Amino acid sequence: MAMESANRPSPPGPLGQRKAEKIDRLAELAATPPDERGGSVVQESFRRLRRSPMAIVGGAIIAVFVILAIIGPYIAPYHPIATIAIDQVRPGVIPGPSAEHWFGVDQLGRDVYSRILVGARHSLLVGVVATLIGFTAGAIIGGVAGAAYGLGGRVGRAIDSVLMRFMDMLLALPTLLLAASMAAILRPSLQAVMIAVGVAVVPIFARLLRGSMIAQAQRDYVLAAQALGVRRRKIVMAHVFPNSLAPVIVQATLTLAVAIIDAAALSFLGLGNPDTAVPEWGVMLAQAQGQIFTRPTLAVYPAVAIIIVALGFTLLGEAMREALDPKLRR
Amino acid sequence: MRQRRLKAGIAVGAVAALVLSACASERVEDAEDLGYDPDATLIIGTAGEVTSLDPIYTADGESIRVARMIYDTLLDIRPGTTEVVPGLATSWDSDPSGTSWTFELRDDVTFHDGEPFNAEAVCANFERYHNLEGAAQSPPYYWRLLSGGFANNEPEAGLGEPNYQSCEATDEFTAVIDLAEPTSRFPRLLSLHVFGMHSPAALEEYNASDLGPWGDVQWPEYSTDHPTGTGPFRFVEWDQATQEVRLERNDDYWGETPTVAEVIFRAIPDETQRVESLLTGEIHGFDLPAPAHWDTLEAEGMNLLVRDTPVNLLYVAFTQEGNEALQDLRVRRAIAHALNREGLVNALMPEGAEVATQFTPPSLPGWADDVITYEYDPDLARDLLAEAGYDEDNPLELTFLWPTEVTRPYMPSPQDMIELFAPDLEAVGIEVEPISMVWGTEFIPAVIAEGEGDLHFLGWTGDYPDAFNFIGTWFASANAEFGFDNPELFEKMAQADQTVEEAERIALYEELNREIMEFLPGVPISHMPNAIVLAPNVEGVVQGPLANERFDQARILTE
Repeated sequence: MAMESANRPSPPGPLGQRKAEKIDRLAELAATPPDERGGSVVQESFRRLRRSPMAIVGGAIIAVFVILAIIGPYIAPYHPIATIAIDQVRPGVIPGPSAEHWFGVDQLGRDVYSRILVGARHSLLVGVVATLIGFTAGAIIGGVAGAAYGLGGRVGRAIDSVLMRFMDMLLALPTLLLAASMAAILRPSLQAVMIAVGVAVVPIFARLLRGSMIAQAQRDYVLAAQALGVRRRKIVMAHVFPNSLAPVIVQATLTLAVAIIDAAALSFLGLGNPDTAVPEWGVMLAQAQGQIFTRPTLAVYPAVAIIIVALGFTLLGEAMREALDPKLRR
Repeated sequence: MRQRRLKAGIAVGAVAALVLSACASERVEDAEDLGYDPDATLIIGTAGEVTSLDPIYTADGESIRVARMIYDTLLDIRPGTTEVVPGLATSWDSDPSGTSWTFELRDDVTFHDGEPFNAEAVCANFERYHNLEGAAQSPPYYWRLLSGGFANNEPEAGLGEPNYQSCEATDEFTAVIDLAEPTSRFPRLLSLHVFGMHSPAALEEYNASDLGPWGDVQWPEYSTDHPTGTGPFRFVEWDQATQEVRLERNDDYWGETPTVAEVIFRAIPDETQRVESLLTGEIHGFDLPAPAHWDTLEAEGMNLLVRDTPVNLLYVAFTQEGNEALQDLRVRRAIAHALNREGLVNALMPEGAEVATQFTPPSLPGWADDVITYEYDPDLARDLLAEAGYDEDNPLELTFLWPTEVTRPYMPSPQDMIELFAPDLEAVGIEVEPISMVWGTEFIPAVIAEGEGDLHFLGWTGDYPDAFNFIGTWFASANAEFGFDNPELFEKMAQADQTVEEAERIALYEELNREIMEFLPGVPISHMPNAIVLAPNVEGVVQGPLANERFDQARILTE
């Protein structure tokens, strides 16, 4: 362990350091040897997960969210951009909830309930795609660095060092700031938000996978494979890499929550889809701000929607982390 | 016990007496008082900062609002009206040809730096405008509008021959300005504070005319730190860190003495924050509150001064250059029929706003009551598009540019506007790509100078009460914004501009308005009342239809 940390400088600043420590702890978890029952880490963790109320609540929220995101547009009572109640709105006058419009209408007479439902798909899409971008790019960079480190040699260490110091630099920046800068460089669009949020989480995945691979390298099965004469390259690619993915998947769940919040934040700041009529929770929140004196409740619906979904992913992610972590096992 | 009660009674009595006497003495002071505090500081919130304190280089409301305090103009507008009245000039007249204008000037005015105001100073100002060089030829939008060019036009500026010829001080307080051709713009455009009179000595001392060679503008010291006029307030400082411009009373002002000691313009870019600042008493008022906030502001007891005969216009422009579809009149008509303008006006604009039928507001002479109108009729729009060869298999694709970070007197919330109009166009089968741009830095250069995009929102607030100030702004010559060439129309426009006889000119304007609506270079959307809001303890500000309030007679009432 002491030798490990010597190879692991932290990114500058207290924020980056805290983030890095959290990631490194998760990376070590997968390397913990199986407990006395003899099941694999993943099997064991899944068994624990099923008994955790946190995981059940989180999973249920996510399940409902995913179902709504898929069927939302079909069950929405109105078209989300149809200004059906435009006759009833005036500057400073917005009708509240009614039997026809459960959440009321917005400043252009559009049904807020329908917009929230349809907006769910958008949020899910952005969250998943951004996480996939971060996961893929992070896995490649982290995998290369980890493999280079594992394969050894001066060149390997150098490659690892260069890649990881660059990742640490990115890690030192708050994700939202990094994402906002990225989005500002790209032209505001849906794709820009996905890329920006995705890029912002790349260093998390990279550091995590690399750390996890290095932790795996100390395991007995690697030693056994080496003793059997398996080539180093094969050990890294076929054994170490796949076994290192468990904590990365946990991280992906946690990252989905961050991605959804960050994507909403970017849209809120006007860096998202330029066609702002398309319902999106962040945009809805920004527009509600203009009506804060007229009908403050308009801000509540998208805000609560974002909070609940982010809570779902966080609960499930934390439960998974707990299930993996022997120190937190009860 | 009883004694203690007595003591308490005495004490209460004493306190009451003290309080009462204090009140009485205050009341006495009040009676001597004017009812307002002449040493008060008036703080006005603004949506943005000034671009330059030398107004000839500006054309935006935020800058001109500050210039109005520091400078006086030859002609003025009577507060609360559109009537042109004497300013620094007591009278003005032209020869029959309308090209030689004689201005009689006030003889009791001095500049803030002690220099006298006279005919020579006036001519020095006009000669300065006329002889601007290099980068300084780029920002003066209104001089280019007034004269059409400079003494030595920069080749890159794309300007024509200047209409301004010369200025001569025939005696100490008489200036004669000669033009090549008569124009309806002159002299009324001189009432705009862009043409405020500067101290010639200060102009020279602080290099006011030196903005560097053509290309990037480098603001001289005069534009940032030393504006020197004759107005009711002197400049103190422009703090770019706190985004505040601070002015102090000019005690030697030739007009009515200002009733506040200091005025601060503080930039607060966020509307919601401006409302909060006003409600908490941090500022005394701000211009153009969003219509959605009017009720709230009034309910909180604020003074909402509504300019209810709006001299403004919001429109959707078609940029025809490089777009064959928009060059087809059927397509332009289809778009006009597809837009639910009434829906937009009702949902976003305050009471009194109306759908525009033409590119001139009805309050100006020259507005024609018999122009061709385009009712909201999606079916007709679809038919017209089909006629022009566009249908589901071959849809018309258009970009629609809209500005962010702005409220103008004619435009309450661009984002809501695009969210109404883009679906309207999509409903008739047009594929719309909305593109948002930041107002000052991206949107204006893109649509005005570059002619980017296919459709965009823009509008106009009148500078002076004449129809040419509207239609002449867009349709007097080929420009990038509308991107069409119609020599016949331009010819007629020039003819109207040069017609000196008022009635004749107005008849020409009416005819032009009819022709423009047949040609349909864009869709006029609306004329909108707008407001300025002040704290309940501020009096003496009169709102004007041209949104040109001065705050020199504002009174901050003592409680």
